[in-house]
Amino acid sequence: MSDEAFHAAAGEDCHLFGDNNCGFEEVAPTVSVFFPEPFMEFGLPLTAGITKYTLMLVISVLLVMGFWYLATRRAAVVPGRLQSVAEMLVTFIRDQVTRQQMGQAGDKYLPMMVTLFLFIFVMNAMGIIPGLQLPVTSHIAYPAALAIYVYVMWNAIGIKKHGVAGHFVGRVVPGGTPKWILPLLVPIEIAQNFIAKPVTHALRPFAAMLSGHLLLAVFAAGGFYMFNLGADGFLSVVSVGYSGLALVAFVVFTGFELFIMALQAYVFIMLASSYLGEALEGQH
Amino acid sequence: MILAAEQENPLALHTDELVFGFIALFVLLFVMYRMWPKITSVLDERANQIEGGIERARKAEAEAEEIRQQYREKIEEAHRQYAQELEKAKEQRAAIIAEAREEAQAEARRVIEAAHAQIEADRQHALAQLRGEIGTLSTDLAERIVGETLSDSAAQNRVIDRFLDELEQSESQAEVR
Repeated sequence: MSDEAFHAAAGEDCHLFGDNNCGFEEVAPTVSVFFPEPFMEFGLPLTAGITKYTLMLVISVLLVMGFWYLATRRAAVVPGRLQSVAEMLVTFIRDQVTRQQMGQAGDKYLPMMVTLFLFIFVMNAMGIIPGLQLPVTSHIAYPAALAIYVYVMWNAIGIKKHGVAGHFVGRVVPGGTPKWILPLLVPIEIAQNFIAKPVTHALRPFAAMLSGHLLLAVFAAGGFYMFNLGADGFLSVVSVGYSGLALVAFVVFTGFELFIMALQAYVFIMLASSYLGEALEGQH
Repeated sequence: MILAAEQENPLALHTDELVFGFIALFVLLFVMYRMWPKITSVLDERANQIEGGIERARKAEAEAEEIRQQYREKIEEAHRQYAQELEKAKEQRAAIIAEAREEAQAEARRVIEAAHAQIEADRQHALAQLRGEIGTLSTDLAERIVGETLSDSAAQNRVIDRFLDELEQSESQAEVR
């Protein structure tokens, strides 16, 4: 639900210093902002239907494809502007992420990492695009899909490279540990590698986007709530001052959010590369 | 609103969204992998060109160094040849001077010898002439003496005879010399 719609639903009269003694808790944004009205429902349990998220997902995919198509359409040795940006991204991810985590073998997974980075970043950035203003990744299902894909790749690469036993033993038995501690260590390793890692991998961008967006929504709603020109005398000036502060905070935090959005995408592929690197390496 | 809030669990994983997410990811991955070679080929080609450029520059530098070395050698060779030529020229000059000196000395000797011969010849000639003149003079003198005293005695006749003998003797002596 966009902020405007939200405020309309909460009622026009609820403001600071208002006559009806209305508190902020009545207009403060709740998790409802992450549950827009579906355009179409499937009527099945555990489904959300076709919602704004679905629309933004399609837009994200098209944006990434469009960017990449335009950037590489006339790929030349002397690059154009968009091509330079794409090349910078590719070389940055290659030098700072895949080669750091996987060595030269990581070049094979470079397109995957670039795709994941762009996809996550664009899905995150939906949160600050005016009119949409809702990060796609604030629904756990989308980062979960990406994390599951990485998890499956992680296992597939490990099994392909070291065999089923080699992969699983390599993951749950840390190299160089004394035998007597293994009964204690193996369950921890299983829990960490096969449960905690993929779950946190998905949760990380989700939680960052959920909280970030909620923070922005609170600043927006607060600014609107505190803006009351109808208040008595001096109080209306105070209300405008408060509202201005909230606006400044909103702008600053929007910039900060953009940084977080890129950072989360970077962290996601950094972890993905690290996991795939482990699988390639075998026993560590 | 309250009823909806119960369902609004932000941690709820919607299965349809998961499926949409997978579809979106695979479509995107498929398309990105299809478009990928373009950017890598460009990056590779650029790397090749840069490497090629560096390689070319290195080769050109090596070539320049080689040519410079050759020039240096040539210059040294030229210097050496120049020094040799100079030495040879000096030797030749000395030889020519020596030869000229020798020739001049020989010429001088020859001139001197010729002069000596001429002098000798002149002397001989003068001697012969002198001798003839002396004879004539002597004869004249003798004639005169003889003509005036011929009527004298027989002693005078002997004097004349002796004089003539002596004259003959001296003449034969002069011929021997």
